[in-house]
Amino acid sequence: METHSYFPVPPGVGMEENFLSLDDILLSHERLPSRTECTFPRLGFLEKSSDSRDIQEGTKMEMPLFLAKGLYERKRRVVSVELPKVYKEGWRTVFNADPTVVDLHKMGPYYYGLGSQLLHFDSPENPEIAQAVLQTFIGRFRRTMDSSQNAYNEDTSALVERLDYLERALFRAGQSGLNSFQNWERGRASTITASSLVLNYRKRKITDLQP
Amino acid sequence: MDPSEVEFLAEKEVVKIIPNFSLDKIYLIGGDLGPFNPGLPVDVPVWLALNLKQRQKCRIVPPEWMDVEKLEEIRELERKEDTFTPVPSPYYMELTKLLLNHASDNIPKADEIRTLVKDIWDTRIAKLRLSADSFISQQEAHAKLDNLTLMEINTTRSFLLDTLNCMYKLRSNLQPGASGGKAQDHH
Repeated sequence: METHSYFPVPPGVGMEENFLSLDDILLSHERLPSRTECTFPRLGFLEKSSDSRDIQEGTKMEMPLFLAKGLYERKRRVVSVELPKVYKEGWRTVFNADPTVVDLHKMGPYYYGLGSQLLHFDSPENPEIAQAVLQTFIGRFRRTMDSSQNAYNEDTSALVERLDYLERALFRAGQSGLNSFQNWERGRASTITASSLVLNYRKRKITDLQP
Repeated sequence: MDPSEVEFLAEKEVVKIIPNFSLDKIYLIGGDLGPFNPGLPVDVPVWLALNLKQRQKCRIVPPEWMDVEKLEEIRELERKEDTFTPVPSPYYMELTKLLLNHASDNIPKADEIRTLVKDIWDTRIAKLRLSADSFISQQEAHAKLDNLTLMEINTTRSFLLDTLNCMYKLRSNLQPGASGGKAQDHH
């Protein structure tokens, strides 16, 4: 059995992020191609490619997800966010054709998380993105399942290499199920111990109950 | 759940033994056992049977289904049917392992039985995986899986639940405006 000294918080996956999830924190630093829709005065030092004092309207730059989410507003257009190329029409066709051939770790590595987060920005392609992300997950499921449930006692780095972080977590869950079963079958299962609650529990004496 | 915990539950199953000592009825919380008389078969839980066997105080009578012909029949049926067939005991895998490891001298053709049970197990796990895959790819919301045993469910539980959780959240993305992924929390 795998034990952690702390309980890791799983990523939120959907449009909601889990505040305490390490994966979601890393995800919020993914860069998105974006374009400024108004002038940002005196923030020119943030944009290394030009020497001007302000960030001009219409500058194209890359912005981390958390910043883009904070600045993006539906009514007052401050920034507009473009889709990263994996979520564009061209790549969506590739995912549609055969999701298993794509190296999601190279393309992501937070493909599912970022795809869900992109839905915060009103893009006409939002329904297609959500659909493509879901279909990709379903299409790749069989492979993740088979490889995680069959690889016993071998080097899994080659199997895991092309998986997104979300799929890696699933892969680990599958592996721990397989490993604990195999250990049991080989007679290497852990001895069951009584719960610490029970061990520390003292029998009540009648004198304690009757004052 | 850990497999050893599943095994612990399986040890409550009843098995027949032939003791070679005599002892009056013993009274336990789980029920009364005995009386034990040399040569007379008596029903006891597996944990007691194994304990007595290890101290060479009894001979274990294998359960009825632990028989090469019966298991071969089950194996053929399991291979033929697309759905899960009823298993002889809800703890067949655990009991086979426990009894064969500790009392293989009381069970005729122990090696064949071990292979047969392993075959049945493998067929069922392959089926389980196949149905999990079609469950996911057709995006079903519920499924009915009869005749699965606890040990079988246990090998794939965490993986399948995590996957369904992710899929649910990705699917709730399809309906914009709905706050998805909040209501559900397994464990």
